[in-house]
Amino acid sequence: MNLFRIPGQGRVDPTTPVEFTFDGKTVSGYKGDTITSALLANGIHLMGRSFKYHRPRGAVCAGSEEPNALVGTRRGAGQFEPNTRATVQEIWSGLEVTSQNRYPSLSFDIGAVNDRAYMLFSAGFYYKTFMWPKSFWDKVYEPFIRSAAGLGVSPSENDPDKYASRYLHTDVLVIGAGPAGLAAALSASRAGLRVTLVDENPEAGGTLISEPQTIIDGVPAWQWIDQTVAELISLGVRVMTRTTAIGYYHQNMVGLCEKLTDHLSSPNANMPRERLWRVRARQVILAQGALEKPLVFDGNDRPGVMLAGSAQTYLNKYGVRVGNNAVVVTSHDSAWYAAFDLADAGTKIQAIVDTRAEPAVELVAGAKSRSIRILSGYSATGTQGRLRIKSVRINPVINGKVGAPETLECDCLLMSGGWTPSLHLFSHTKGALTWDADMQTFLPDRKTEDCEIAGAGRGLWGIAAALNDGAAMGAVAARTLDKVATNTVYDVTNDRVGTGVSHTELPTDLDPGKARAFVDFQNDVTAKDLRLAVREGMHSIEHVKRYTTNGMATDQGKMSNMNGLNIAADALGKPQPKVGLTTFRPPYTPTSFGAFVGYHRGDHFDVTRKTPIDSWAEENGAVFEPVSMWRRARYFPQNGEDMDGAVSRECKTTRSAVGMFDASTLGKIEIVGPDAVEFMNRMYTNPWTKLAPGRTRYGLLLGDDGFIRDDGVIGRLSTDRFHITTTTGRAARVLNMMEDYLQTEWTDLKVWLTSTTEHWATIALNGPNARKLLEPFVEGQDISDQAFPHMSIVECTVAGFPARLFRVSFTGELGFEVNVPACHGRALWQTLWDAGQQYGICAYGTETMHVLRAEKGYIIVGQDTDGTVTPYDAGISWAIGKTKPDFVGKRGLERPDLVADGRKQLVGLLTQDGKTLLEEGAQLVLDANQPIPMKMVGHVTSSYHSDAVGRPIAFALLENGHNRVGETVYIPMPEGVISADVTGTVFYDPDGARLKL
Amino acid sequence: MMALTPEFTPGQLVSGDVVSVSLMAPVARFSLRLRAADIPAVSTAIGVDLPTRIGACAHHETVEVMCLGPDEWQIQTDANDSVRLINACAAIYAQVPHSLTDISAREVTISIEGPGAVDLLSIGCPRDIDKIAIGTGCRTVFDGVSTVLWRDGETRFRLDIWRSFAPHVIGLIQTGCAELAAQ
Repeated sequence: MNLFRIPGQGRVDPTTPVEFTFDGKTVSGYKGDTITSALLANGIHLMGRSFKYHRPRGAVCAGSEEPNALVGTRRGAGQFEPNTRATVQEIWSGLEVTSQNRYPSLSFDIGAVNDRAYMLFSAGFYYKTFMWPKSFWDKVYEPFIRSAAGLGVSPSENDPDKYASRYLHTDVLVIGAGPAGLAAALSASRAGLRVTLVDENPEAGGTLISEPQTIIDGVPAWQWIDQTVAELISLGVRVMTRTTAIGYYHQNMVGLCEKLTDHLSSPNANMPRERLWRVRARQVILAQGALEKPLVFDGNDRPGVMLAGSAQTYLNKYGVRVGNNAVVVTSHDSAWYAAFDLADAGTKIQAIVDTRAEPAVELVAGAKSRSIRILSGYSATGTQGRLRIKSVRINPVINGKVGAPETLECDCLLMSGGWTPSLHLFSHTKGALTWDADMQTFLPDRKTEDCEIAGAGRGLWGIAAALNDGAAMGAVAARTLDKVATNTVYDVTNDRVGTGVSHTELPTDLDPGKARAFVDFQNDVTAKDLRLAVREGMHSIEHVKRYTTNGMATDQGKMSNMNGLNIAADALGKPQPKVGLTTFRPPYTPTSFGAFVGYHRGDHFDVTRKTPIDSWAEENGAVFEPVSMWRRARYFPQNGEDMDGAVSRECKTTRSAVGMFDASTLGKIEIVGPDAVEFMNRMYTNPWTKLAPGRTRYGLLLGDDGFIRDDGVIGRLSTDRFHITTTTGRAARVLNMMEDYLQTEWTDLKVWLTSTTEHWATIALNGPNARKLLEPFVEGQDISDQAFPHMSIVECTVAGFPARLFRVSFTGELGFEVNVPACHGRALWQTLWDAGQQYGICAYGTETMHVLRAEKGYIIVGQDTDGTVTPYDAGISWAIGKTKPDFVGKRGLERPDLVADGRKQLVGLLTQDGKTLLEEGAQLVLDANQPIPMKMVGHVTSSYHSDAVGRPIAFALLENGHNRVGETVYIPMPEGVISADVTGTVFYDPDGARLKL
Repeated sequence: MMALTPEFTPGQLVSGDVVSVSLMAPVARFSLRLRAADIPAVSTAIGVDLPTRIGACAHHETVEVMCLGPDEWQIQTDANDSVRLINACAAIYAQVPHSLTDISAREVTISIEGPGAVDLLSIGCPRDIDKIAIGTGCRTVFDGVSTVLWRDGETRFRLDIWRSFAPHVIGLIQTGCAELAAQ
């Protein structure tokens, strides 16, 4: 068990063994292991199959950039996640891990036939193959591609986990807790700033964990990490581990995803799984380090082939040797040290194969002292082994000529093609990059945000360089924030500085067209694919990327982008910066949907506004409908009624007795000030000067384009005080529009606006019995028709509650609207309901309200208008004050297209058979026999069955409609053509006699 | 954890060591709007010096005022005091035009107290709570809903929420309390 574990080495907890399953088999590791480190400790390198060719793959790295070791993980019912990076996921007892993209098993996979046919699946294969015949696309190609696409299995159950989010403000946000980040956080926090330090790993330390031999100011690296973190915490620094900075947005807003429970075997049920942090930082320090690049050669993807730095990490962090018998192939000094560490730990290093002719003297000495064979000026040209590497083929390269091959047996191959500064977050800010020809890499250049880049992220190499740069950048950030900061200089011994060179694919003596030399491991893109893309005309890296899919997998090309660029640039014969680098986008690493959704699921998905009377409606069986953010009672079914039955009864009761309706959602704005009437005159189309206190008027609001925006009944309470009502959906927008005019155009007016929508509960009583019901409850006002005629308003007391009482009707019946403070809304409703029983009262909902108003020809803004309808079009030009000097929309109404003939105008429609109910939204034509496509001349905006009229009624917007009254229009429907007469819009009580009871 | 009633019955909603949340009893609440030049006259009339820095608060006996904008204040006081306030303002209206509008029933208030109060607010409020001094406040949002936040102490806050949005906001507050308790 754990044959490859070195007792006493690494940071796992040997006293806490952990067992989990991999493809059903129990695997043991220790607390602190990742899935990968535990598998490697057991000698298991084969962890998955590749996306396209189903090639056997193992972990190629030890970090979040892993392209190969993607597995399914299951933590419990509904808690399955595909494509978990095995190099990141910590193990706990009971974790279920499954390999992906294989059938029937990981070691024998039928899909691997793709690998033998690899010559067919070159870049652009899909574009070329599935072009013809065209008819095959829907039935054959598209379903085939769909089933083949995607890696892993999508979860099919509801996710039972909780997700959370928070806002955080900090002076300095340091991203990455390696040497540079730790030193930066120390500098900034010692200067007295609020500092937040985040790292995606379970513990701080970064590279220092893999370099335990380093001594910093006389303290061994691991001890230095512990004491530094302790000091940071004592200085009040928020140190957040398992926290990935996923995106860097405008004005130093950084998104963090903190993983809280994925590493726990039995987390508290109220604990969220992940928490999204929206951080606003005054200064950001990016200390993300550098990522190691693979070398590109035939067979560089076989299980057992791994980045040298990662092998060093497995050894020092987890105490795991990745093999017994290693060959190192490198173009960078760092891999030599990895080889030394492994050799010292007991792994046989067959050879260090360096592409460079003359490795540094001290490296050669180090290798010789360990009796390691040195092959300098060599290339790797192939590997052997089915499910694990068995040998590597190497050749000397002399004066550009590839010499005779030699085969070295091995069970693992450690490669290093150098290091790429991690500039993903910097790239999110649209910061400019500059090409460093010496280092053959991009470095950060012009900044667009308040940030600094420290350490290996800007091309510095070695622990001392990273520490000192971090300290300096922390001090820069502190000084920018007007703090005094000292530039700490660290004394570092046993630092391993070094250099390297960069390559395209390594030279080979074999046919390069047949080499399976992988650049993008996750998307199975080879060097050959990239060269083919260039040959086929892709000359920008953006085109090459899309044609080959290089760098387009979920790892965003962390390993592949630079190798891909080098090869494309070489194929084009241009320097790299002329070919360009693709843009990195958030998130930095794959992030769960849950983290983004946060609390907004289930009952908390979005705001549902409820009126004070909503609870009564619910208790009385109302069926609700959403109206903007509100939920409103749509109808109140009784004795198993369906909607039509309920609406028919509610309409009849209201017209014959009395109905009550919860109108609390109507927007309400209080307008106060000596210039209130002038403001009203300018805002609404109607004249207001002569409206006496105690009277109300229908108000019509236009946009400055002349189109109808809103309407409502407006009461004048006193000379200087108006009570405006708006439509339910537009209340906030109307108030904003008014404030906008007041604050920008009419600053001279002494008038103020206050939203009172929610202060008032509004109960509408309509019907011939409305006065009889209400009268006994009203104190301070005679509500007879003489004393309180239609369109009156008064402040009085209703059922003991302070009230604003309107005499108004949206049904055509005798009507009142009682406004009382919202806290009394339900009590008043109950009082009126109880008292109304003797008058045969019913509660009605929005559906009945719609029918009753349509019978009377009252429009609903937003249903019978759509933002292109003028008052003339809607037939309500009587609401325009013709003699007023100005109002919002007056000049808009004079535009030529608004006064032209042939505009769509609101008309009534009666289907000629007297029975057919039109469908809202149905299109109108003048000639049903014309060829398709027919000329459409309008559409139905409202349509209901009307008991009062005894037939269906409808409104429509019809081209030149006002002149077509009496004509016939046709409504072609799937079942056949319906014919309808064009009429006026008032279907019931055209003289309005019922209002005047 | 107690459920919020549809009638908004005042009382404790969450009790705990980390944070407790209560729905407070109703108060009289007004929106006051006026021009800067008229601040002294109105201050004299209502008996409280209107603060002029946005977010600043002033108190006198039962009256509390927060400055919400350059021409906007929120006033709250005991229900018994509201008539005095209305009459005081009405008396000077002819000389000093302004708007005093009753919004008592427009919103409800919850109190949030305890060592977890700041963390709890951070789940929905994008403001830097550390920068809101004790005895001041601000109009802000909580989970996208417009609210007025009062800071009464290091770990004591009040949050005014429009009625129809209150169940949404309080629901999230309760979720947050459970989350904080689990930490």
